[in-house]
Amino acid sequence: MDMFFAAVLCYSIGILTLFAPHQRQIMAHYVANLAAVMGSGLVFFNAWSILASDIPVRAVKWGSYVLTCDGWSAAFLMLTGLAGIIASIYALGYAESYEGKRLRMLNGLWNLFICSMVLVLLAGDALSFLLFWEIMAVASFLLVNHEAEKRTTWNAAYQYLVMTSIGTAAIMIAFFLTATHSASFTFAAMANNTLEGGWLHAVFAAAFIGFALKAGFVPLHVWLPNAHPAAPSHVSALMSGVMLKIALYGFGRFMFDFLPEWNYWWAVIVMVIGLLSAFLGVLYAQMEVDIKRVLAYSSVENMGIIFAAFGCGMLLKVVTDSNWCQIGFLAALLHAFNHSIMKVLMFMSAGSIMHGTGSKNLELFGGLANKMPYTAIFTFIGAMGLAALPLTNGFVGEWMVLQSFITLGHNGLTQDVRLWTALAFVLMGLTGALALGCFVRYFGITFLGAARSKLVERAHESDTFMLAAMGMSSALVLICGIFPGYVIYLLCNALHMSDYMVLGVGGRLIWSGSGTFVTYNPILVAVVLGIIGVVVLYFVVGQKICIPKDVTWNCGTYPTARQQYSATGFSKPVRRAFDYLLKPKRERTYTQNDHSYFGRKLFYKLEIPDMITEKLYQPFNKYFVSASAFLRRLQQGSVRLYVSYVMVAMVIVLIWGAMYK
Amino acid sequence: MMNDVLMNLLYCLGQAVILLLLAPLVSGIVKKLKAFMQNRIGSSIFQEYYDIYKWWRKPTMLTPNTSIIFVAAPCVYFITTLAAASMLPNFIGGKANFGDVFVFVYLFALGRFFMAVSSMDAATAFGGMGGSREVYIAAFVEPVIMLGILSNALHTGSTSLTGMTLNPNEVNLTVASVLTGIAFFLVMLAENARIPVDNPDTHLELTMVHECMTLEYSGRLLSLIHWASQLKLLVFLLIFSLLYLPLNLPLAVKVLLGAAGVAVMETLNNKMRLFKVRIYLAAAGIMMLLAVVAR
Repeated sequence: MDMFFAAVLCYSIGILTLFAPHQRQIMAHYVANLAAVMGSGLVFFNAWSILASDIPVRAVKWGSYVLTCDGWSAAFLMLTGLAGIIASIYALGYAESYEGKRLRMLNGLWNLFICSMVLVLLAGDALSFLLFWEIMAVASFLLVNHEAEKRTTWNAAYQYLVMTSIGTAAIMIAFFLTATHSASFTFAAMANNTLEGGWLHAVFAAAFIGFALKAGFVPLHVWLPNAHPAAPSHVSALMSGVMLKIALYGFGRFMFDFLPEWNYWWAVIVMVIGLLSAFLGVLYAQMEVDIKRVLAYSSVENMGIIFAAFGCGMLLKVVTDSNWCQIGFLAALLHAFNHSIMKVLMFMSAGSIMHGTGSKNLELFGGLANKMPYTAIFTFIGAMGLAALPLTNGFVGEWMVLQSFITLGHNGLTQDVRLWTALAFVLMGLTGALALGCFVRYFGITFLGAARSKLVERAHESDTFMLAAMGMSSALVLICGIFPGYVIYLLCNALHMSDYMVLGVGGRLIWSGSGTFVTYNPILVAVVLGIIGVVVLYFVVGQKICIPKDVTWNCGTYPTARQQYSATGFSKPVRRAFDYLLKPKRERTYTQNDHSYFGRKLFYKLEIPDMITEKLYQPFNKYFVSASAFLRRLQQGSVRLYVSYVMVAMVIVLIWGAMYK
Repeated sequence: MMNDVLMNLLYCLGQAVILLLLAPLVSGIVKKLKAFMQNRIGSSIFQEYYDIYKWWRKPTMLTPNTSIIFVAAPCVYFITTLAAASMLPNFIGGKANFGDVFVFVYLFALGRFFMAVSSMDAATAFGGMGGSREVYIAAFVEPVIMLGILSNALHTGSTSLTGMTLNPNEVNLTVASVLTGIAFFLVMLAENARIPVDNPDTHLELTMVHECMTLEYSGRLLSLIHWASQLKLLVFLLIFSLLYLPLNLPLAVKVLLGAAGVAVMETLNNKMRLFKVRIYLAAAGIMMLLAVVAR
C-alpha cells in the first residue's frame, strides 16, 4: 500500500504545479508530467508485483474509509499505470503546444484525473468509491471542456456532465441498496449482504445502467463520441483507454462480490447488449470522417466485445456451473488490457496527426506517410491491432472471446443457449469484418495516396517524446501479441484461476472447453510467417523494379487527388447495405451552367445522424423541456404568490398533524 | 521436444509447397471445364503456370506515389495464404499445431487487410473502388463463415481444423450437413471472388472487385497475387471437401467435384449486382443458421 501512497504523493506534486507562476509554465509542465510518469510507474510496478507474487495486501483504514487492493483491482491498476506512463510521456511533448492556453490547468487536472482513477480502484468502501468516482468524473469533465472557446467542445462537455451524473446516480442507488442490507459501507461487509428477491434485480439494474453508461453502451453511448474527441488527445487516450475499463471494474465488483448468485436473464442481457453495442459501434465508426470520432466509436465497439465476453462467462456459470466460465472473464480482462494499449496508441497517433496537420478531418488527408513516416508505422500497427489481426494483441483477445462463445455453445445444451451462441457468432463476424474495413479506411485514406489538401504539404513529424510514447505502445501491441503468456499469467492470478487451463508450454494458448484441445501458438505463427517471408522477400528484392517519372495511368485523363476514393465514398457500400439502420440524410442540388455538355455543378451534403439520439433522446428532451415550461408557471416571481404557497403548505401540514394526533 | 516441433514445421511447410505447386493446375482445370461447358476449346490446363512464369520474368513497374505498403501487400497476401495452406489437416503426416480455425480465418483477414490498404496507395479511383467493395463483401462473408465454424464445432466438439474434419466412416447425409455444405459452397465463391459475386476474368471497372485492387500491379508482384489467389481457391476447395462435403469419397475426387461445381456455377450464372450480394450471402447465412439449429 505504501507504494500506492507514494504514487499519490507524486500526483499531488503534479496537481500543485497549478500554482506555478505564469513565467515558469513550461518548467511546471515538465515537472507535472514527469510527476505523472513517476506516479504511474509506481502504480504499475506495485500492481504488477501484487499480481506476480499473489500476496494479499494490507488494507488501510481511516475512520469508515478503507483503501485496499485485491486481484481484480490490481489488474486494472496495472492497466492504469501502464497507460498512464505512456500517455504522460506523450503529454510531455504534446501538451506543450497548449502553452498560453491554460497549460498549468491542463497539467494539474491531468494529474488529478489519473490520481482519481487510481484511488477509485483502491477504494474499499462504497463512500470513498463514490467520492473518487465523482472526482474522476469532474476532472474528466473539466479536461473535456479545456478548449471551451469552441462551441462544440462546450456542448460535448456539458452533455458528458449530465450523462455521467445520471450514471453516478444509478451507481449510488445500487451501492446504497446493497449497503442498507449489510452491516456497513465497506466492501467486505457488503459482500455479506442480505439482499433477496426483487431487491437483487433492482441492484443489478441500477449497477448495470450506471456502469454501462460509463462504458458507453448502446443506447447510453451518445455522450462518448462527442466527449472523447473534444478533449486534448492524451486525455482522450486515457478516457478511452482506461476510464471506460473502470466501468468494467465496478461492474465486476458488483457481480463477483455483492451479487454472486446470478440470474439467467442478467447474463443474457449483459451479453446481448454488449454484442449489439459492438456491432452498432463499429458500424458508426466506419461512417465517421472525424478521426477521433472514428476511434471513439471503435471504443464503443470494443467495450461491447469486452462486456459480451463477461456476459458469456456469466451465462456459462449459470447454465453449466462449471469452471469453464473462467474463460469469459479472462477474455474480458485480457481484451480490456489489450484494448487499453491499442486505444492509447491510436488516440496518440490521432493527436500527432492533428498536431502535424491542424485538422482531424479524414477527407483532407492523404499521402501523410511521406511526411510522417514514423507516425504512419505506429498507426499501422495500432490499426492492425484494432482490426484483430494475428500477431497483434488484439487477436489474442479476440481468439479468447471466440473460444468462450464456442465453449458456451458446446456446454449449454439447450436450444436457447444455442440461439444466443449463434447470435454471438453472427455479430462477432460482422463486427470483426466491419472493424477491418474501418481501419483499412482510416489508415489508407490518411496515410496513402496523394494529398487531398494543402494541410498535408505543411505537415510535420511529431517530436521525440510523442514518437517515443507511440513507439513504446506499438512495441507493446506486438510483444503482447506474440508473447501473450506473461500477461495471461498475471491476469489469471487476478481472477484466482490456475493458468494451466489456458497456457501451455512455450507460451502457447491452450483451451479445451469445447471438447478437444485447441491451441493458438503466436510464436510459431510468427516463425512460419517469418520463414515464408524470408523466401518471398529474397525473390521480390531480386527483381527488376522500374519507377517511371510519370503518374499513374488513369484512362487518359490526368489524375488529380480529387479523383481518389474519399473516406465517405469508401464506406458507401456498407452505408447503403445498412441504410435501414443508419438512415443517411442526403441532399443533392445541381446547378445548371451554360455549357450543357460539360459537367454540371453538384452540391452534395451527407449527414448520418445518430439514430439513438434522434429517436430516443430528442423526443425525451422535448417532453422534458415542455414539462419544465409547464412547471415554470408556479414560479411567477411575485412575493405574494410565494407567501400564499407557504400558507397553503402550512395549512396542509396542520391538517395532516391534526389527523395523526 | 524441439525436434518434434521442427519436424512438424517441416511437414507443414512441405505440404504448403506441394499445394502451391498444384494450385495453378486446379485453376486451369476449372477454366478448362468452364470452356468445355461453354462449347469452347479453351486454353491448356497448364496455362496458369505459363502466365505466372511470364509475369515472374517481367520487371515491376511502380507508380511514383506508392509507399512500401504497395510492395509489401502482395508479399503478405502470398505469405498468409501459404501459412494458411500449411495449417490444413496434414495429409503427408505431421500436425499443424500452431493454431485453430480462427487463426486460419484471421490469417486470410491479414492478407485482405494488406491488399485493401494497398489499393489506396496508387492514388487512382479504381484502387479505392476495389478496396471499398472488398471490405463490403467481407462484412457479409465473415458472419456466414463464423456460423459455419460454429455448426461444425458443435458437431465435432473442436475448433482445430484436424478435429473438425469429417470422419469418413461416419459421413451421413443429415439436414445439417447438407445445409452447411451448400452454404459453405456459396460462401466459398464469394470469398474467392468468383462468379456470381465477382468475376476473376474481367478488368471492367463496373464488375470488378478483386481485380480492381490488383490493377496497378505488374511483374513479380502480380504473379504473387495471382498465385496466392489460386492457392486460396485450392485451400478453400480442400476445406470444403474435408469439413463440409458429406460424401465418402477420396479427397482428390472431392476436390475435383468442388472444382466442377465452381465451373458449373460460373457457367450458369452471371455476375450479380453489387448490392444483391448481401441477399445472396444472407441466403447462405440462413442455411447455416438452420444447420446450427438442426445440429
